[in-house]
Amino acid sequence: MLEFPASVSLPLAQWVDAIMSWILVNWGVFFDAIGSGILFGLLHIERFLLWLPWVVVVLLVGVVAWRVMRKWWLGLLMAAFFVLIGSLGYWDLSMMTLAIIIAAVIISLAIGIPTGILMARSNAAESILKPILDAMQTMPSFVYLIPALMLFGLGKVPAVFATIIYAVPPVIRLTDVGIRQVSPNVVEAAEAFGSSARQTLFEVQLPLAMPSIMVGVNQTTMMALAMVVIASMIGARGLGLEVLLAINRIEVGRGFAAGLCIVLLAIVIDRVTHALAAKQEQATLT
Amino acid sequence: MNGNNGNNNNGLSQSGETCIDVRGLWKIFGHDSEKILSSDACNSSKETILGETGSVLALRDVSFEVNQGELFVIMGLSGSGKSTLIRCILRLIEPTEGEIIISGEDICGYDNKQLMELRRNTTGMIFQYFGLFPHRTVLDNVAYGLKVKGVGKEERYARAREVIEKVGLKEWESYFPSALSGGMQQRVGIARALANDPEVLLMDEPFSGLDPLIRRQMQDELIAIQAEVQKTILFVTHDLDEALKLGSRIAIMRDGEIIQIGTPEEVITAPSDDYVREFVQDASPAKVVTAKSIMEQPRVLLYEWQGPKTALALMRSNRLDDAFVVTRTGGLQGMVTIEGLVRLIRNKGNFLHEALEPDLPVSTADMVLEDLFPLAVSTRYPIAVVDEKGKFMGYVHTGTILGSMIQEKVEEEKEMGEDEEKEEGEVQKDEKMEVRTKDIKDIEEETRIDA
Repeated sequence: MLEFPASVSLPLAQWVDAIMSWILVNWGVFFDAIGSGILFGLLHIERFLLWLPWVVVVLLVGVVAWRVMRKWWLGLLMAAFFVLIGSLGYWDLSMMTLAIIIAAVIISLAIGIPTGILMARSNAAESILKPILDAMQTMPSFVYLIPALMLFGLGKVPAVFATIIYAVPPVIRLTDVGIRQVSPNVVEAAEAFGSSARQTLFEVQLPLAMPSIMVGVNQTTMMALAMVVIASMIGARGLGLEVLLAINRIEVGRGFAAGLCIVLLAIVIDRVTHALAAKQEQATLT
Repeated sequence: MNGNNGNNNNGLSQSGETCIDVRGLWKIFGHDSEKILSSDACNSSKETILGETGSVLALRDVSFEVNQGELFVIMGLSGSGKSTLIRCILRLIEPTEGEIIISGEDICGYDNKQLMELRRNTTGMIFQYFGLFPHRTVLDNVAYGLKVKGVGKEERYARAREVIEKVGLKEWESYFPSALSGGMQQRVGIARALANDPEVLLMDEPFSGLDPLIRRQMQDELIAIQAEVQKTILFVTHDLDEALKLGSRIAIMRDGEIIQIGTPEEVITAPSDDYVREFVQDASPAKVVTAKSIMEQPRVLLYEWQGPKTALALMRSNRLDDAFVVTRTGGLQGMVTIEGLVRLIRNKGNFLHEALEPDLPVSTADMVLEDLFPLAVSTRYPIAVVDEKGKFMGYVHTGTILGSMIQEKVEEEKEMGEDEEKEEGEVQKDEKMEVRTKDIKDIEEETRIDA
């Protein structure tokens, strides 16, 4: 009597399995095509980053950080962080991690910004997408590894795929919020002067939503970094894998060094994209 | 005061051709607006409709015409539907039923593309909250309408600079709107609307957000700009003084209906019902009543070729102390008095113009009471009224002017008396009133003697 009756059972797990195997059978070719597309892009980014001489990368990071944060010593500090990563012996692995992040962020933005625009323009779309986004963000990130693994097998592609799913919600949300926050007076004025829907979007709404969208980009990037580490469990080489190996072998020093590299990478990426967002905000407010 | 200028300029510039013709316009916010319209429910009050159907009636059977070059004011309190009305005319809000004919075409039948063309080429709108684009400079804001139309960069900037100069913001073109004061921002709004060179300007409470001093200045500037560009303007306001100052005609709205349309003077002097009366009772007639409406025709008019003895005889037989002298074409020459004529005859003068009194007060037909008042107190002659070509139209007794000003004061004080001195006896109040009316009679008599 006290236990939940076994007869009232919902075989959700079996259903999901069934759906997954149906997708694999019928859509296998489709996912293979996506997979090789992602791999192609990713490999090129990775090869390019590894080809770049380290001095160039360090200089680039320093100059970009200095330009967007407008303080020379911050540029110097960011460059120093990259030198530190190199001196810890994790340069190549860091570049591989960076390549996955870049690929995942580019695809996330390509999916996220248009979706956000759609959400902002249609209340129906918003009411459908919002709970989905909520669910995506509360789901433990490990869960995404399973379908990624099933659809794309082991390696870098499922890592990128899982990272996208995990990292895409913030940019969608913040694009939506950004566009909806644009003053209705301004939008009305644009319409009253005969703007088409397209002109209103590109001339008025998107530029004014830019600060919010940039915050979304910053958050998406940070989440991509967090996910990349976890995604190493399905075979993405990079800093995450080092941490994973260190855990398995109980090598505290090695784990700390690799973890430190992840933190340094995170600080640089966060500060630079954050400064970019702040700069955008200032530009629209002046 | 510039009120008279406004009325006159706009009045004169009308060519009489209808520019905007709104017929039987309805707007109901809610799901079954069509159903309400086709049933009897639409005849019940706004509150009943809201209670029974949950829909909000915003406009009820609104019809009016705006002539070419006219400044037509729609006035009403908030919630009267005036902002909805002006938005319906551009279909920024879709009307539920009715016709809106702009330059001969019913725009309610327009598809999106035609509507876009209408907004790009025929109309320009100015908003209460300016609606400027905060991410664009003044120049880019003003050029926006042209950009949307596809006008090339150089051409649209050249045109934008032209209009920016017209509204006096030349040095500010590269600033962002947030760097500008409210008044300046609205000038940008006006420039943006003018840049397209539209036939029709729609202004939705454009000056309501500005402080009173700036507001008055902007009103004067609008009058000046309007005199120059001659647009058809539909102007929405909740401010009666503004409506009276700017409007060549005023439509007063309440609960989504137009309850009176008329010139400022008609609205003030003959309010159509208690609502309008209540609305206009604060407005002082001094700002609306013009010289033309209170002037009188003289019993005797002297012509320049008449001799002094004829003039004297004419005046004596009509028991007049003074008379106006006009030229052959009716132009005002001046005024002669009995004494002046007697002196002239004694000096053996032969021409009337030798006896003209100096410093004759002259008013134009559209001067309002408020402006006539200083003239009236500074002279002992009646005030001659002339048209813009200097032709004699009639005259106003100084007594009439002073009397009406005082009348107004008495009414004000009477009201105050009623409010504050209820406990005082009726007799006392009557006494007070008697004293006042006696005052007026005295003054009137004095001035009559003068005249």
